[in-house]
Amino acid sequence: MKNLSQLACSLLVLCAGTAIAQPTNRLFVTNEEDNTVTVVNAGSLQVEKTIDVGNRPRGIGLSPDHAKVYVALGDDNAIGVIDTKTLELIDTIPAGSDPENFAVHPNGTIYLSNEDENLASALDPETREIVAEIPVGIEPEGVGASPDGTRVMVTSESTNMVHVVSVPDHELIANILVGARPREVIFTADSKWAYVTSEVAGEISKIDVANNTVAQKASMAEIDGVKPKGVLLSPDEKTLYVSTGRANTIAVLDAETLEITNTIKVGSRVWGIALSRDGSRLYGVNGVDGTMSVIDTATHMEIDTVEVGNMPWGVVLDD
Amino acid sequence: MKPGQVFSGSATAVLLTSLIVGSSGDAGAAAEPLRVRMLLVGPDTESYASHRNGAVLGQTEGNIQGRFLGIDYVLDEVSVDEALQGGNEGISAVIVADGREQLMRVLEHYAPLHVPVFNISLPDMDLREQCFDGLYQTAPSAKMLADAEAQWAQANDGEKVTAIAWHPEFVKFAGRDLNKRYTEQFSVAMDSDAWAGWAATRSVAEAVVRTQSADPAAIDALLQDGLVFDGQKGLNQTFRDNGQLRQPLLLVDASGELVGEAPVRGVADIDDLDSLGLPGCSQ
Repeated sequence: MKNLSQLACSLLVLCAGTAIAQPTNRLFVTNEEDNTVTVVNAGSLQVEKTIDVGNRPRGIGLSPDHAKVYVALGDDNAIGVIDTKTLELIDTIPAGSDPENFAVHPNGTIYLSNEDENLASALDPETREIVAEIPVGIEPEGVGASPDGTRVMVTSESTNMVHVVSVPDHELIANILVGARPREVIFTADSKWAYVTSEVAGEISKIDVANNTVAQKASMAEIDGVKPKGVLLSPDEKTLYVSTGRANTIAVLDAETLEITNTIKVGSRVWGIALSRDGSRLYGVNGVDGTMSVIDTATHMEIDTVEVGNMPWGVVLDD
Repeated sequence: MKPGQVFSGSATAVLLTSLIVGSSGDAGAAAEPLRVRMLLVGPDTESYASHRNGAVLGQTEGNIQGRFLGIDYVLDEVSVDEALQGGNEGISAVIVADGREQLMRVLEHYAPLHVPVFNISLPDMDLREQCFDGLYQTAPSAKMLADAEAQWAQANDGEKVTAIAWHPEFVKFAGRDLNKRYTEQFSVAMDSDAWAGWAATRSVAEAVVRTQSADPAAIDALLQDGLVFDGQKGLNQTFRDNGQLRQPLLLVDASGELVGEAPVRGVADIDDLDSLGLPGCSQ
C-alpha cells in the first residue's frame, strides 16, 4: 500500500521526481497555544520530541517528498520548516500576514490562507518567494490542491465561499457559496470531486470540480452540537471522516450518500485529523484536552490517547 | 408572523442572475453590479457611533463577498423624517438605532411595503411580545440578558455578572478576527452596540446572497424562515417568530472582565439558545 501514491504520482508529469523518502512513521501535531510541534512515534505512540516552532502554529503538512514538515505560524507571518528526519526547525519562511492553513501542491508550491488579509498566497519554499497573491473572502482558512495539479480551492470562513483558483495561471475562476463557516476542503484522487465542511451550518458539501457547483450537501445535525471541521477520505474513497469540534466525535460518512454511518467518541474539541496510508488508523487532536486520539478504523473505537501540547490544532503523519 | 409575500409592494424586485456562479468558469462580477440599498436611521449620539460603525462593518464585509457575486451594498444614513419621505423604492432593509417612537414610525411605514426593519438598540420586551410583522431585533432583549445572568448565578453560587452581546476581548469562534477587523476599520474597540449593527447588515447580506434577490419581501421571507447567520459566537443563529435573533451572550464581572458565555454549561444545554429570552410571542 505504501507505494500506491508514488505509483499514481509517477504517472503525472507534475509529480515526476517526487519520490517519497523512507517514511519515519512519525505524527506531527501543532499546539496552537504553546508554540510547539509534538512529534509522536506512530508505532510506539511515544512522544519523541517537542519542537519550538514559533508563534501560533496551526496548519501543518508534508512536502511532496515528505522530507520536510511545514507549519503555518500565524503570529510570525511565516511558514516554519521542520526536517522530518532530524526533527530540527531548519527554516522559517516569510509567508505574508497571518497564515492559518495551507495545502502543498504536487509541484511543491505551498498554497496558504492569509487569514486577516482576505488573501491566498502561493509560496515557493525553494526560492522562498511568494509567487502569487489571490484576493479571496473574509477569514480564508481551508486550502486544498487537486491531485492533478490544476486547481486550488480556498474556503473563506466569514464569506461562506469556496474560491477556485486555476494553476499555474492563478486566476480566480469561480466562487461557490456553501454553508456558513466553511473550514476545510479535500479532493478525491481523480480530482473530480471536492468535499467541504461547514462548521456553523453543520453541513458537508460535495463539489463538482468540472462545473464548480455544489453537487450534493448533507446536514450533520443529527450529531448533537456538531461543528464539522477536519475532513479526510479513506484510501478506497468510500468513507469520509469528519471531525466535529465540540461534539467531541469523529463522524464516519458514506462518501457516496453523505449519510452518517458511525460516530467515534474522542476528546474535547477535536479538529485536526490524519489517516494512515493503509487506512487502518485514524488520529484526531483534541484541543481542549491537549491529547491525540488513536482510532482503529475497523472497529471505529478509540484505542489509545497520547498527551500532546496546549490546544492541539492540526496533525499530519509521515508514513 | 405570517410568511412574507415574494415580489410585492412597491419595492423593486431584482433577480440576481449573476449569482449563478461558476458554471461558465466566469468568476467575475456581472457587468452591472446589483445595488442593495439599506437605510440606517438614528441620532448622532455616543452609542449611535458604535451602532453605525457595526452596521458599516457589516456593509464592508458584504461588499467583500459582493465583489465575487456582482453585488454592491449601499448604506445611507438618514433621519427618521428622511426615511419616511418618498423615494423609498429599491430599499432592501431599514436599520434603526433610535428611540422607541422613531422605531415605531419607521415600522408602520415600512412593514406594509414588506421591507424588513431592524431594531439594533432597544431591549424592550413588548417589541418581542407583540411579534410585529417585519421587525427583526439583533440587540438582545431584556429577558435574554436577565436569563443569562440568572444562569450564571445558578452555576456559580449566586455570583453576579452582567450579560452583554459582545466584548472586545472575546477570541473564541473567530471572535478574535471580528474584533480585529472592527478595530482596524474604526480604531476603537468593538462593543455590544456595534455587534448588533454588524449583525443587522450582515444578516441582510446573507439573505440577499441566499435568496439571490435584493427584493425586500424575499429577504423578509428568508429571515423568518430560518436563515442561518454566523454571528461569530460559535452557534448558528436564526430569528425567532418574534423577530429576535437567537444568540449566545457573554458575561462580564464587575470590573468588565469577560468571565463566561451563556447558555451556561451545567445549567442549560449550551446549544439551546431558547434558554435565553422569550421563545415566541405573548398571548
